[in-house]
Amino acid sequence: MPSLEIDNVKKSYDNFQALKGVSFRAEPGEFVVMVGPSGCGKSTLLRSIAGLETISSGAIRIDGRDIAHDDPSQRGVAMVFQNYALYPHMTVAQNMGFALKMAGRPKAEIDAAVQRAAQILRITEHLEKKPKALSGGQKQRVAIGRAITRSPDVFLFDEPLSNLDAALRSQMRIELGRLHAELKATMVYVTHDQTEAMTMASRIVVLNAGQIEQTGTPLELYNRPTNRFVAGFLGTPRMNFFAGRVVRQDGSAISVQLPGVDLNLDLTLEGEGPGVGGEIVLGARPEALDGAGGIEIKGTTAVVENLGREALVYVDTGALRTFDSESQEGYVAVHRPYQVEARFGAHTSIRLDASRLYAFGPDGRSIAFPRSL
Amino acid sequence: MNGRTRLVAIGMHLILTVWTIFVLAPIGLMLISAFKSQAEIFTKPLSLPGSLNLSAFQRAWNIGIGSFMLNSLLVTVLSVAVIITTSGLAAYVLARSEAKVMKWLYILIIASFAIPVQSVLVPLYQMVSGGHMLNSQLGIVLPYAAFGIPFTTVLFYAFFLEFPRELEEAARLDGCSRLQIFFRIVVPLSGPVVASAAIFQAVFNWNEFLLALMMLTEKSVRTLPVGIYGLTTQYSSDWPAIMAALTIATLPLLILFILAQRHFVRSLAGLGK
Ligand SMILES: Nc1ncnc2c1ncn2[C@@H]1O[C@H](COP(=O)(O)OP(=O)(O)O)[C@@H](O)[C@H]1O
Ligand SMILES: [Mg+2]
Repeated sequence: MPSLEIDNVKKSYDNFQALKGVSFRAEPGEFVVMVGPSGCGKSTLLRSIAGLETISSGAIRIDGRDIAHDDPSQRGVAMVFQNYALYPHMTVAQNMGFALKMAGRPKAEIDAAVQRAAQILRITEHLEKKPKALSGGQKQRVAIGRAITRSPDVFLFDEPLSNLDAALRSQMRIELGRLHAELKATMVYVTHDQTEAMTMASRIVVLNAGQIEQTGTPLELYNRPTNRFVAGFLGTPRMNFFAGRVVRQDGSAISVQLPGVDLNLDLTLEGEGPGVGGEIVLGARPEALDGAGGIEIKGTTAVVENLGREALVYVDTGALRTFDSESQEGYVAVHRPYQVEARFGAHTSIRLDASRLYAFGPDGRSIAFPRSL
Repeated sequence: MNGRTRLVAIGMHLILTVWTIFVLAPIGLMLISAFKSQAEIFTKPLSLPGSLNLSAFQRAWNIGIGSFMLNSLLVTVLSVAVIITTSGLAAYVLARSEAKVMKWLYILIIASFAIPVQSVLVPLYQMVSGGHMLNSQLGIVLPYAAFGIPFTTVLFYAFFLEFPRELEEAARLDGCSRLQIFFRIVVPLSGPVVASAAIFQAVFNWNEFLLALMMLTEKSVRTLPVGIYGLTTQYSSDWPAIMAALTIATLPLLILFILAQRHFVRSLAGLGK
């Protein structure tokens, strides 16, 4: 299995820079998920790798060979599109065998490759159908099958599950995981859905505004995000962010004051802090606010989202408000690992434990992490 | 549906009904006259024919409708083929090219709509005559194609702009060249627009009169409209035969239209995007 290396790739449309120097490496057989908000340049990067866009500068290497200026069909990549892009006038088998046919391979070889891919994807009984006779999930399988038949060096997926309903999507996530294990191929998978990234990736690349924010395994990124963007992007619901002020600093030990919280929070800095009197942002994952330690802050229940075994509770704490969060009113999101009777206005509380908080400097970089991480 | 929209709907249908009768009346008159005798046409012009008399059709056929029809068929098929091929290729390039000059070319093509046939009759005649193509079917096919290509190009252009780009991109990854993408992916999926363009141009060229009258003066190369026009002066006494000839001339298009009207309406409705 070959590796894929993206080296300082830049891409401009007229006077808009969609990719501002992107570099990463997918090791042989790795499943890399590129995740980022919509419009951040994911498709542009994937299409550049495929050869559907011409990059402005940089290199794209497969097994060390720069393919950035090769013809798309000569790059050894296969792409699965968001809306399947199956040829409507061809049968499933013809769709899957088209690339081999264009390459002038003998019919027996094409048939064998199509059969093999169809077996892997369990679509053998649909081979003679036209795409319009298939459901969305089946179409996406055919699209994946079309990629498999070509036995490419690198598979590229551009949000392949976003047209499917939720149930089918989680089923296909598992299916794709199995496929990757079976083919042991190098895959680059693009999505705006952080759940897909967290569940499927062996490594995540977080892209934002044409630049890579951070690269790492799902847990590395979740536990030690390099900045506020990554911290907020991974994890649902989002991390709660609170604006505070540094009131005391002694070496790397600081005390932070939050509005509506009587006691100061003591944190240990790993990076450069803003200094005494400076503004600082504290971050708390919803699951870090339910527990026994730390300071209790009383509030009332604003919204309860019951998930069955557990619940998400949005708490109105009065003075302590979150910003840049899912709730516009600044309610604090708390994850309760038990069932909660939904009652608007009921008294409840959150617990702020300094040892479970993140801190971010004025430039958004992470400067403190929960003590256990 | 509330009262107001209902009233509007009724009004619209009324207008359309009147319009349809207005359009169909001459055709109906042509049809019933073809079955009448000469005397009947003048004594009872609006009544149904007394008996189903097919002799007029036989007479019409004998005075050369057969060869006119063959000429019409040849000219129409050839010109439509030239128009579809040229416009298809041109529109695809226009729709896919990012070069600025293509935008200007497109505007130029649209501007050429504004040129009426009548205004270029004389130079056109001189050109065809200079090319020694008077009284040849090819001589008429080329001007027909020239007048059909701009409209058809615009029709195809609108269609190609809407054509899903991912299909072409998938084909590129699958190893198709530009030309292969066009012929293996785009063309097979262009059935509806080709059908409507073909019908539209076929109707137009089948019925075309002015250019044909000018350039096809020998009886052996005349198309139906000119041929039948010739009959009116030559056989002015035989109205049933002329009506029968017109009926024969109308029939092929009518059948074509009824078979493919769905395509026709759909693609015209998509125009102007
Ligand atoms: N052909 C193009 N011309 C101009 N701008 C483009 C073009 N394609 C994409 N862009 C811009 O580049 C940015 C990244 O687009 P894209 O890669 O499609 O984002 P994503 O796939 O992450 O949602 C967007 O702001 C988009 O508007
Ligand atoms: Mg995209």
